[in-house]
Amino acid sequence: MSRQTRTAGRRIMGPQSALTDFLASHNISANQIRLDAEARRRAAAQDNQQRQADGGAQQLLNGDADFDTPPPESEVDESVVVSTGRSTRGRSAAQAAAEAERRKKENEKKAIDKIKASKKSQKRKRNLDDSEDEDDIVRALFNERAKPLPGQMENCAICNKRFTVTPYSRNAPDGGLVCSPCGKELARDDPTPKNKTKRGSGGPVGAHRQKQSKILDGTYHVGGKSLMSLCIQTLAKNIDLAEHLGDLPPKIVDKIARKLSKHRLLNPTTLSLFLQPSNQEVLVYDGAKLSADDFYRIFHSVPELKKLKVRNAIHFKDEVVDYLLTRHIVLEDLYLHGSNLISEGKWIEYLQKKGQPLRSLRVYWTDKHFTDAVLAVIPASCPNLTRLKVCHNQAVTGEGLGHISKITTLRHLSLDLREAIHPDVYVKLLTAIGPQLETLCLTRVPELDNTVLDAIHLHCRSLKKLRITDSELMTDAGFARLFTSTWSNPGLIFLDFQKCRQLESTQPRENPDGIGLCDEGFKALMEHSGKTLQNLNIHACRHISSKAFEEVFSADKTYENMHKMEISFCEEVTDFVVGSIFRSCPNLREVNVFGCMKVKDVRVPRGKILVGVPNARGMVTECDED
Amino acid sequence: MSDSKYITLISYDGFEFVVLREAALISETIRAMLRGPFREAQTGRCEFGEIRGPVLEKVVEYFHYHHANRDRTDVPDMDIPVDICLELLMAADFLGLDSKPQMRDIS
Repeated sequence: MSRQTRTAGRRIMGPQSALTDFLASHNISANQIRLDAEARRRAAAQDNQQRQADGGAQQLLNGDADFDTPPPESEVDESVVVSTGRSTRGRSAAQAAAEAERRKKENEKKAIDKIKASKKSQKRKRNLDDSEDEDDIVRALFNERAKPLPGQMENCAICNKRFTVTPYSRNAPDGGLVCSPCGKELARDDPTPKNKTKRGSGGPVGAHRQKQSKILDGTYHVGGKSLMSLCIQTLAKNIDLAEHLGDLPPKIVDKIARKLSKHRLLNPTTLSLFLQPSNQEVLVYDGAKLSADDFYRIFHSVPELKKLKVRNAIHFKDEVVDYLLTRHIVLEDLYLHGSNLISEGKWIEYLQKKGQPLRSLRVYWTDKHFTDAVLAVIPASCPNLTRLKVCHNQAVTGEGLGHISKITTLRHLSLDLREAIHPDVYVKLLTAIGPQLETLCLTRVPELDNTVLDAIHLHCRSLKKLRITDSELMTDAGFARLFTSTWSNPGLIFLDFQKCRQLESTQPRENPDGIGLCDEGFKALMEHSGKTLQNLNIHACRHISSKAFEEVFSADKTYENMHKMEISFCEEVTDFVVGSIFRSCPNLREVNVFGCMKVKDVRVPRGKILVGVPNARGMVTECDED
Repeated sequence: MSDSKYITLISYDGFEFVVLREAALISETIRAMLRGPFREAQTGRCEFGEIRGPVLEKVVEYFHYHHANRDRTDVPDMDIPVDICLELLMAADFLGLDSKPQMRDIS
């Protein structure tokens, strides 16, 4: 059969059309194309017939004999034409189809070779600057030419149904056109929307919201961002392009680490950027995506490690500590957050073997395994420890505090324990190590009373930072006694008496016993430490009267160092008080006044931030002031 | 000290940039160079032996961006080309273009 057609192709014929001539010059035979089309059509018709007739084989033979006269178009059922390759058809028809397919391929190849040589392709190649594969371009050109024009019939590339080509017919993913139902399917699956409109800033409301958001983030500044933050921002966005960070100073590397963790981009790949063999510190602000293997990697690639900080160190477990114990790494500063998989025994083993050089130990969010027994090991095995922080801990009790009081080198102590511990235990602790303490943070201690304040007054000489929060028993008189002029401690820098107030739901306004930080305590506090304070938090100390505020922030008093104040939920704070605060604290940057319902319309000096104004208008900036 | 309103910054590969003196003074390093008893203070020419031309160009662009926006509050971020980002970071560190030092609370 094939030979027959080929000879037919060479047959001498009469006059030819211009198109046939053109095609012949490109080595494309019009006759060949016609024959191919006929063969296809015939195969389709046969298939159709086969379906319609019961004795399919007989019909087939007839169809095959009827070789030279193609069936008229009308006979072809347009809706159910099935592709030549797949249908269950007689053998000869299949052969014909395969032959046709092969020939089509051959022709296509020839045509493509022609196109490659043609001028248009050359020109396009020049334009595209060799950026694309040559074959792709040529194929694209071929497809462009081969594509049927609108109005013609074509078989859908997906469902094979016959349909009319329109200008809106979509291309199938692997060449060819698709019918409109399939096109709709495609459009739905297509992940990239056609007209992606860029969202604007949202007008004045959006801009206002953005500003408020920045204020709450603490990133609000007048003027542009610093070049360094801009660079770090860009770097964090494109961190996957960075291979190493070069020899940037540790301070900047730390900033990059913070930025990455903020966007939760720290993973085993980006961790490598921070593991320079010459480093002495590795600070991981979000280790949630790191596995035990990554922690091993930290220890074997940074042999001179001295300071390790890992937040969300979930997989920092016994095996990791074991590995750390086998390495010659001398950690001076260990900060672990959320490492619940380190057992009590392993903590003890670590402190006994590697406690000697340890200067700072901070452990956050552990429920069971950082216990009194672990603290008991510290006094003997950590002779250089100056900083101890045990936060969000459910296991340490008064017994543990007893062990802490034996750590005579301690300078900084922060405790946030869940167990209720009697104030006397704290008094004992302060008696033992109070004199040299610089930092004392006792967070969430509802059971603490005035005896602890008195002990601080009596024993502490060098405090700089003091935090006592949520106390329900300390009284105004107690606070006033702490801050009397006889206290030989110099002025504090950081003070936090958050939520030290009376909790009485039946009579919330009455406070006959003066529980919590009230007028006298606040005045004594500012008298003692006002000049040195940088950061003051009296959140929810709601019995401080507006009179006390006005007295403390009167026109003749200035607090040069005050940088940040948190006075949220102090009910008596008024517009006048906030104004006085701005007047008395020239270097103040931020004041929080959430829940201060009497603050309504304050003029905020330029460059300062007032957060939490109830009418949600937020900051009003005046240009001529300050 | 030369009193010109402009100073010249020179990169290590010889590119010269003339910048408004006031704008360039946000850099601690340049301020120290111009205020001290140095040759730079007399000539108003600062040479940077470690900064390439394209990087210094971006730095100069930043000086003017910062100067133009110094009193505005909602400033759009300047565009930083990714390919020189790290070099620019080093330059920013060298020139002291960090954010304003804030009082750190002792922890």
